[in-house]
Amino acid sequence: MSRDVLVNLNYLLVAILLIGASIVVMHFESPERLIQGEWVETAWRLEKDNVSSTAGEQLQAGLRKEILQNVENLHLGVWRFDEDGTLQSATTAQKSEMEWIIKGRGHVLELRRAGKTVESFQIQQISKDRLVLHLNFDLQVKGIIEIVLERKERTDQYAKKI
Amino acid sequence: MLRKYSNHRTQSDNIKLGALTAFSAGMVNVASVTVFFAFTSNITGYYAVLAQELSKGNWYQGAVVLLWILLFFIGSFLSNFVIIQGKGRWSQYISHAIPVILEFLSILFVGLYLDFFYENSLKETEILVGALAFAMGLQNGLTASISNSVVKTTHLTGLTTDLAILVSMFSKRENRRNQALVDKFHLLLTIMLTYVAGGLFGGLGYLYLENGTFYLTCAILLIIALYDFYKIGRIKRIFERRNREVVPASY
Repeated sequence: MSRDVLVNLNYLLVAILLIGASIVVMHFESPERLIQGEWVETAWRLEKDNVSSTAGEQLQAGLRKEILQNVENLHLGVWRFDEDGTLQSATTAQKSEMEWIIKGRGHVLELRRAGKTVESFQIQQISKDRLVLHLNFDLQVKGIIEIVLERKERTDQYAKKI
Repeated sequence: MLRKYSNHRTQSDNIKLGALTAFSAGMVNVASVTVFFAFTSNITGYYAVLAQELSKGNWYQGAVVLLWILLFFIGSFLSNFVIIQGKGRWSQYISHAIPVILEFLSILFVGLYLDFFYENSLKETEILVGALAFAMGLQNGLTASISNSVVKTTHLTGLTTDLAILVSMFSKRENRRNQALVDKFHLLLTIMLTYVAGGLFGGLGYLYLENGTFYLTCAILLIIALYDFYKIGRIKRIFERRNREVVPASY
């Protein structure tokens, strides 16, 4: 193959990648769209990174209490991400007045109240049915709180089935 | 800083260009992480992130990262394209200044958009990070191209490797006396330190200046673009004065 052809193939490859990536970004559902709706908290897990497993177990109960106290205002039960960018707790009648913003490449969920950041989560997984958020904490030990949420319609259907 | 090319460049030219561009790149990178939670000159990291997102089946996020990498690529491509296509058509200084002006416009666009239109949507974040990645590509392409790949301001992986190699070479006495190696060491060290200083300044500056950090970067880029304009003007004036002095004397 001549060099001219190879060079043209290079340009073609860049164009294909550019067009392909643009099509995916334009037509696939973005995390900003996927997150809208009601999500039920199904698990809160603590994952520490600098504690041995036995010491970790002993610390677990006390730590959990302290950490959960610090993130009490995030324990919403059912999270409702509205299209207008507000976050409500569907389990309490009280308005949370929190705003949600997705940043980066769609991997950071930021919660704000009155324009000030309350918390930033790493979006570990997001699909139509499941949302996994990671929250870094640094209380006594460093680690991560993993919050697992599931789409409300899905959990309702499962409850009906049972 | 900009008007000389390849081997005609002096150590001083490279140090000035490397220090100012690395400082602005460090500022943009940290300001971008603060505002958008995304790096703009960390292309090595983005290749890893791209693979990670694709392996997790996150096609959307993978495509976004691929677009940012491609925009960096296009920026670097455009820089060198303007330089080589501009040869013979317009002055060398103009060819070298065009990528800086394009970079200036990209960063100015980001600053103005953040100030007047930004609504915190993901689409906007992706586009603005893309504009900054394009700007960083332009800058890295320009500095690498005109300095014969001696100056690379956003390529800290390569720079750290080169620095490490040089430090190990200095373990031999004869290398310590090799001026070319010492000059290279000074240049790389300057780029590394100014990049970190730019990052620190970007992080701290954002607390006080907020989006003004991007305007400050634009001001640095203007200094880079106009420095040689001033120099060329000065040289011209000196020549004209000498000419005036010499011509009457010959009569």
